[in-house]
Amino acid sequence: MAFSWKAARDIMRKDSSVSTEYQRLEEFVSLVFLRIYNALEEEWADEADSNGKSYTPAIPEEYQWGAWAVKRADGTSLTGDALVEHINALYKHCATMSVVGLEPRQMIVRKVFQGLTQHMRDGYQLRQLIDLVNELNYHDAKQRHLFGQMYEEMLRIMQSSKETGEYYTPRAVTKFIVEQLNPQLGEKFGDFACGTGGFLTAAIDHLHAQGVETKKQVEQLQTAIVGCELKAIPYLLCATNMLVHGIDNPAITQGTAFSKNINDYDEKDKVNVVGMNPPYGGMTTSTELTNFPENVRTSETAVLFLAYICKRLKADGRAGVIIPDGFLFGSDNASIEVKKILLKEMNLHTIIRLPSSVFAPYTSITTNILFFDNKRAADAPDGFKTKEVWVYRMDMPDGYKHFSKTKPILPEHMQVVKGWWENRVEITDPTDDPTKVTYKAKCYSAKEIEESSYNLDLCKYPKEEEVILSPDELLRDYHERRVALDAKIDATLKTIQALLKK
Amino acid sequence: MTGQQLKNSILQEAIQGHLIPQNNSSDEPAIKLLECIHKEKVELVKAGKLKKKDLEIEPILAEEYPFEKPSGWEFARLSDISLDSADGPFGSNLKKEHYTSQKQVRIIQLSNIGELGWRDANVKYTTFEHLKTVSRSEAFAGDIIIAKMMPAGRAIICPNADTKYVLSSDAVRFAFSTLLDRRYLYYAINSPVFKDQVYGEVQGITRVRTSLSKLRTYILPIPPLSEQKRIVEKIDELLPLVDEYEKAAGELETLNKVLPEKLRKSVLQEAIHGTLVANDIPEGEATATELLQQILKERQKIENKEKGSKAKKIALSTIEEEPWELPEGWCWARLGDVMTFVNGRAYKKDELLSSGKYKVLRVGNFFTNDSWYYSDLELPEEKYCFNGDLLYAWSASFGPWIWEGDKTIFHYHIWNVKFNDCWLYKKYLYWFFEADKHIIKESTTGSTMVHVSMENMMPRMIPIPPLSIQHRIVEKIEEVFSTIDKLC
Repeated sequence: MAFSWKAARDIMRKDSSVSTEYQRLEEFVSLVFLRIYNALEEEWADEADSNGKSYTPAIPEEYQWGAWAVKRADGTSLTGDALVEHINALYKHCATMSVVGLEPRQMIVRKVFQGLTQHMRDGYQLRQLIDLVNELNYHDAKQRHLFGQMYEEMLRIMQSSKETGEYYTPRAVTKFIVEQLNPQLGEKFGDFACGTGGFLTAAIDHLHAQGVETKKQVEQLQTAIVGCELKAIPYLLCATNMLVHGIDNPAITQGTAFSKNINDYDEKDKVNVVGMNPPYGGMTTSTELTNFPENVRTSETAVLFLAYICKRLKADGRAGVIIPDGFLFGSDNASIEVKKILLKEMNLHTIIRLPSSVFAPYTSITTNILFFDNKRAADAPDGFKTKEVWVYRMDMPDGYKHFSKTKPILPEHMQVVKGWWENRVEITDPTDDPTKVTYKAKCYSAKEIEESSYNLDLCKYPKEEEVILSPDELLRDYHERRVALDAKIDATLKTIQALLKK
Repeated sequence: MTGQQLKNSILQEAIQGHLIPQNNSSDEPAIKLLECIHKEKVELVKAGKLKKKDLEIEPILAEEYPFEKPSGWEFARLSDISLDSADGPFGSNLKKEHYTSQKQVRIIQLSNIGELGWRDANVKYTTFEHLKTVSRSEAFAGDIIIAKMMPAGRAIICPNADTKYVLSSDAVRFAFSTLLDRRYLYYAINSPVFKDQVYGEVQGITRVRTSLSKLRTYILPIPPLSEQKRIVEKIDELLPLVDEYEKAAGELETLNKVLPEKLRKSVLQEAIHGTLVANDIPEGEATATELLQQILKERQKIENKEKGSKAKKIALSTIEEEPWELPEGWCWARLGDVMTFVNGRAYKKDELLSSGKYKVLRVGNFFTNDSWYYSDLELPEEKYCFNGDLLYAWSASFGPWIWEGDKTIFHYHIWNVKFNDCWLYKKYLYWFFEADKHIIKESTTGSTMVHVSMENMMPRMIPIPPLSIQHRIVEKIEEVFSTIDKLC
């Protein structure tokens, strides 16, 4: 049987103690991790050997993959109840192993297993599952890409169980953002909601391309990425992903990014570059909220992350963040406050608007990439660090009505955006009515934006795209728009009233 | 509150002097202004430009005052303060034959008199030559142009974009004394104070109109000149804000208007993706795959019966790629495998009667048209539809319909959908077709017409849940939809 998620699922469906899709993913991916980590430890042992040194594996002999998981030709492979007993003991050991004497790159085993549970009780199905994992040839780059796909599956599962927020960012988009940010060897790249590590691996690839040969460069690459992931399974996937990309001791924390007051980050906590797609929606706990100043507290996690990123960027640092439309036109206090921060304390120089089907098939939510630097723009007006914001609306490429699972967004679709980036000009939309001019790309001064009550919903898509959102997303979008319009109406009427009284 | 109502309210307040504190005793009272205007006109009579009768002032009695006169202000009729006024030419004097494509004399039509401003639509010109024959109707930049109708009394200031202007028969012009603030007069004429007078005396019912002679008699409040300027400034400050308000209010209205339909589409999408209701399948209930097997068995039986020895083996069509992943117990099937579409009969015009034994159901009856044709034809049973049948219209407007009525003939462009209700719940199919409608519309790019036909309907795919789930989904949809209806 070929290594695939579908095959794994079909096996696990026969064991009733693994009852949800989420549990099945956890079960399967943990085995994959064990297999890969074991292979890595063998590599490290070989390497040490050739250098005349010794390497003590983190995972003791009885729990190493070769001891119990590899299929034996003589048919004596561990199976049934004995297998279940053995694997439970393995999980327990890995979750509680002593860190004394462990190398940094071995710490990950404990970090990973602390969040995991072994679910299966049917040893015969478990044996089948392990045999499937044996089919994984992790040296194959294509198979490594499978991790991303597995996470896609998991996200879909999470959505059908009504867990919202996180979406797998298409490779074409992460690549584009990392390219525009252009991290350099020696810099630190951070993603504080890293998921499976899409942005981090894009950054690693980008750095690799700069040539990693000298000892110093290798060291720089090893310490280049910084990540944070709340949930155990994505964390597991990210950690595995990092190992596979040659980062032996990835600086990824498992837990909330909002663990301390955002004003308490010092230089060592800060990074040069941030590229991320924060979760949308409201899953911040009230404890986490206390780490934010009152005027930015909101239930919209994406907005909180923007404020957070500003505090974790070094001076002259730069960021590319994917944010939903709601923030651009949002007129609630927190959105306004954060927009003020982006214009007055950061240089928000570019906004790229993405078509709504970029994240198909998970969601049709409309998103945008905000690019900002932690420095003052030349000629920025008093009180501002941004002089002007360029907004560019990316339209669907020819021949595409929507992106979809079978026709996803590809790196070549971003070429036209890259071309415009280097040579920024205002672009008007074709129109029959010269009095009604709309723009595809335009430059807005920071002052202009301030005067329009910080409305960044500019260079809009000409026709409201007929995409069907899920009821939750639809109602959330409706509410955001209604609140924004109500606020605008109230503000305008208030001004009129004031003028009438003066 | 509409933007127009707010504008009217603001103009009304402004013109009555309520917007600005009224204690500027340094202003020269309006009575002086009117005296100067009168002197101006006297000079014009002397110069032969005006007739003596143009100097006549019909005094305004206190009971004619539109509102209480603020101190320093006066009321005046349009004829008192205008130096010249004129009507448009008779219709026959300015017609198509007098038009030219050259930009000579711009004709001011009703469509150019916009709400608070010149509307540059409907561009028409006549020749300088022809202007000489209707010279009384020439208009000049700065004139106040008032529409006689549609709506009566609306005023604009004649712009200065074209070389020359001429009134059309539906417009009149006033050249007011330049001692008055032109923009003040323009706002004042557009305010309810003036409009009420216009509407108090209009003629006609369908084409409500006023006339030059009536307009000349109507009353405007005249404040001191500096007050006029202050009023204009204030209005100029406020009107853009009203436009902003109107735009946002309009957007909000649209937002609320489209919400119910968007919600319905969204719910239907959830339904066919299997995420609308919990997928709790009772023990022992047949999965969709098993349902499909039953359907297949039945079709094979029919095939064997009908074709005897020539019967073919019936198999399910292959599905290479599933449109989306389904929950457990569901499966995909092509429509052609699980139901039959029976064609309606095409009728010749002379077969459709205005009365008869059977109604003839046409696509028009589905959506808008209430008028029915009849026929007395006795046809094979399958050309009739009965109460409760699931029908599908497949012309330019397309979609499902559950027929409620007696035995009726159904026309071409309608299918009667036949299926076995042991395995498929009619209302689930109905709602699937509704959801599928949106998918069909979505997949047509640009200007291509949607083309629903038997060939492209049969291979379409339907997600089938176990029977109890089909019922549960329908229940949920009906529940949610009746709540959504309350939003409308």
